[in-house]
Amino acid sequence: MNPWMIASIGFLMCMIPCGIAAFRGSPMERLLGLEMGGIVVTMFLLVMAEGLGRPNFYDIGLTMALLAFGGGVVFTRFLERWL
Amino acid sequence: MKTADLAVAVFLAISVVSTGICCSALLLFRDLFQRLHYLSVVTTLSTLTLLVAVVIKEGAGQATTKAVLAFIVLLLVNAVLSHATARAARVREFGQWTPTSDEHIGGAEQGK
Repeated sequence: MNPWMIASIGFLMCMIPCGIAAFRGSPMERLLGLEMGGIVVTMFLLVMAEGLGRPNFYDIGLTMALLAFGGGVVFTRFLERWL
Repeated sequence: MKTADLAVAVFLAISVVSTGICCSALLLFRDLFQRLHYLSVVTTLSTLTLLVAVVIKEGAGQATTKAVLAFIVLLLVNAVLSHATARAARVREFGQWTPTSDEHIGGAEQGK
């Protein structure tokens, strides 16, 4: 097991507080858990791509970064206006 | 273990530990606006150290280019997202995002 895979396990562990934050508190506080989770998953995917020795998999992390932004903005606007 | 491998391990450790601290801060702090600051630490410090580790390991190449792109995207996107989230939280709390009449904010008063 190389350092990249160990780091990927560390990033997976970081998802636990994000998940807890996304399940408790006000809707805005939950949204923060989701946003933090998106960033952590992006880094997890980048580390996994390096750990597996597949540079092509970096595209998945890059896509995740963009999609997490889209999802976060949609939820933010929705919570601001309608909920 | 070569120096490069040691440097990669150190930078990865910094990235993971700082991310863990910031994620834990989501649970430790009660105020939404305090919690919001920790998103920025993850997108700057953690992703930068991760990028440095990739650069040391791979050198110039496809992986480094994509890692740099991901870093830039996260850096730019998080600034917008943090602002949007803070603005939405204020609108939900006060009905507007500009300072209310009973609020005394130094920077806002200087601008008048």
